[in-house]
Amino acid sequence: MLSLTKMLTGTAVRASLTGTAVSATMAGALFANPYEPYEGTTLVINVPAHPHYNAMMKVLPAFTEETGIEVEVDQLQYLKMRERQTLELTKDEGDYDMIAYVVFSKADYVYADQLENLAKYFMNPALADPNYDQADLISGYVENIGVAGGQKGYLPGQLGSAFGIPFGSETSVLAYRKDIFEKHGIPVPENYDQLLDAACKIPEVEPGMGGMASRAASGHQASHAFLLHLAPLGGRVFDDNWEPIINNEAGVAAANALKTIVDCGPDGSQTFGPAEAAAAFQQGQAAMFMDSIAFAAGFEDPSKSTVAGKVGYALHPEGVRRGSQTGGFGIAIPKNAQNKEAAFLLMQWLTSKEGDLMVAMAGGNPSRFSTYENAELNEKYPYSATFGEALKYADPDWRPIIPTWGKINADIGTIMSQVLTEGLDPQEALNGVAERARAIMDEAGYYTWQ
Amino acid sequence: MQIANANRLTPYLFLAPAALVMAVALLYPIGYMIYASFLDWNPSQRIGEAEFVGLRNYVNLLSDAAFRESFWVTLKFAAVVVTIEMVLGVGLALLLDRNIRGMSVLRTLFILPMMIAPIVVGLMWRYMYHPSVGIFNRTIKSMGFEPIPWLSDGNWAFASVVIADVWQWTPFIFILSLAALQSLPQSAMEAARIDGATGWQQIVYIKLPLMMPVLIVTLLLRLIDAFKVLEVILVLTNGGPGLSTEILSLRISRTASEFRELGEAAAMSNYLLILLVILTFAMFAYNKAVEARTARLRKAAEEDL
Repeated sequence: MLSLTKMLTGTAVRASLTGTAVSATMAGALFANPYEPYEGTTLVINVPAHPHYNAMMKVLPAFTEETGIEVEVDQLQYLKMRERQTLELTKDEGDYDMIAYVVFSKADYVYADQLENLAKYFMNPALADPNYDQADLISGYVENIGVAGGQKGYLPGQLGSAFGIPFGSETSVLAYRKDIFEKHGIPVPENYDQLLDAACKIPEVEPGMGGMASRAASGHQASHAFLLHLAPLGGRVFDDNWEPIINNEAGVAAANALKTIVDCGPDGSQTFGPAEAAAAFQQGQAAMFMDSIAFAAGFEDPSKSTVAGKVGYALHPEGVRRGSQTGGFGIAIPKNAQNKEAAFLLMQWLTSKEGDLMVAMAGGNPSRFSTYENAELNEKYPYSATFGEALKYADPDWRPIIPTWGKINADIGTIMSQVLTEGLDPQEALNGVAERARAIMDEAGYYTWQ
Repeated sequence: MQIANANRLTPYLFLAPAALVMAVALLYPIGYMIYASFLDWNPSQRIGEAEFVGLRNYVNLLSDAAFRESFWVTLKFAAVVVTIEMVLGVGLALLLDRNIRGMSVLRTLFILPMMIAPIVVGLMWRYMYHPSVGIFNRTIKSMGFEPIPWLSDGNWAFASVVIADVWQWTPFIFILSLAALQSLPQSAMEAARIDGATGWQQIVYIKLPLMMPVLIVTLLLRLIDAFKVLEVILVLTNGGPGLSTEILSLRISRTASEFRELGEAAAMSNYLLILLVILTFAMFAYNKAVEARTARLRKAAEEDL
């Protein structure tokens, strides 16, 4: 009985091997189709509810048509998505074949060994597309979102490797009201002095309008807003030995800059999240908005925005250096995925030159330099050229991506909110942050080698 | 003998399924939470991989200024809202405990806020408090006054969440007090009226003392709820500005999802649980003492006769 089964299985295997060989040869001879072995597979992917991923949804049918691989999408608000993934990734067999993760999840997932290292897929000649052109991927994004294990653990370095590919990544630009700036002869800010001058001049010359709409709500938002100014003003949260330096001169300057911006901003700025800040700009209550490029499409949509066509875009102003933020999402394959190879094919397809352009044309954020240079895209979205330029200065180290970051980030955000609303002294506030951050880092073992 | 034994055991047998359900549905999660509070547990780990750290979470929390601040905010919030709600709710019930035409419609209208989902209440108030387009500031501005920074100043933000909570939960106290009022013995009221008690005297000496047992339970329910309120504040201020409205349940939720410290979040929940258990016991002990005193007085009065 046993031998019979063995024999039968043996035959079956041989038969199928022959079958594959035949089809492979045939395919090789006629047209190579690397997707054929995965035809009919259904991938389940988890992505955020975000303009970029809405654009991806429009493009997915083309993938299914080309490859025969079906894709089922589970879309969630991004913080909810992160919570769901945290639970999903600890299971033995996960439900998701591919996930989009928020940039600061990189530390948590990689540290817990929950993402596939992409090396073995790019080494597999049956899977890796020779025309993929890795060098064309925007380097700041790859360093920030995709790579782990190099310098300081979260930055690229000689021994780092890729765990994800940027997809739906963002940097910061300055959006300003061309009409208002022209009317009052205010120069478009190129450095921080001009920026702060303009921010407070506008409410004087244009009553009822705030200078700049900025995030400032207690917690993550206030911290984000502070860090946005910290990097260009020459500051960092930690030095190379993980000692907090957030309370140095640059840190205080960044806190003061944020306070000036919020004080001269539209009414109620102190409680703005990104959506409220963008809405204030969209409704003409502020003359500037400096945040992610992802908001631009909304400003130019006349059905939502009263300022469509009046908005100019400029690089994030220079402080002592140029440094725009890097953020957004990357895509990766969970360790517990069921269809890893097919998931890799989807990842590669979405971030290929063609895929990236398709998603960008549908309203997504490009991940490739070549997409930003594309004439068709620039015609449809005239600001693309400025965004492409901004990316050259994108700073992958504007905030640390380490497992203890959540707690430190929340602390910075709470304290900044107190600086903005309760008149807490910035120096004193940041000294407190530095002290508590050191204790958190100490407990997590960052000073073990000192 | 055996029959007697069996008879004695029968009630327990019938109770067993309920006890089992209770153990699984109630004790297991609480036990799990207590166990988790002794762990250094990151949500990316399974519970088995988490490191056992004994009482470290509890000790750390005691020296954590943000936790102490949020504990204080919670106490302040619960005390303020429950006091205001009790006064308003009982007052309204005393006023409306009469036969006016259309009373039933009015009563239904009064309890509407309670029926609205908390997230919706939060959103609604958030728009009303909006600095430039909200109804409050528009009205204030049209009357020529300076707009109020409802949600962007620590003290005002605290007042704003108190107002929203009072708006939503006063009806709860109102409806329970009204039910208590209407079930009071008419004979006592009639006797008071015949003896010439004024309306005020009737309230202070007859109605309120007779309503007391119901009021105490109501107070307790509201207090427990006020300690756990989350959604309205989450939507209105998300704890800000600074930590001015960060009540404990919000801090617990942030500790679990933002700081990714499940053990510490569990320890915080346990502190909250301990506080609530103490409050509940204190309340019942007080109630018992009052009852005992009344019984003693009644007995003394009867002996005097």
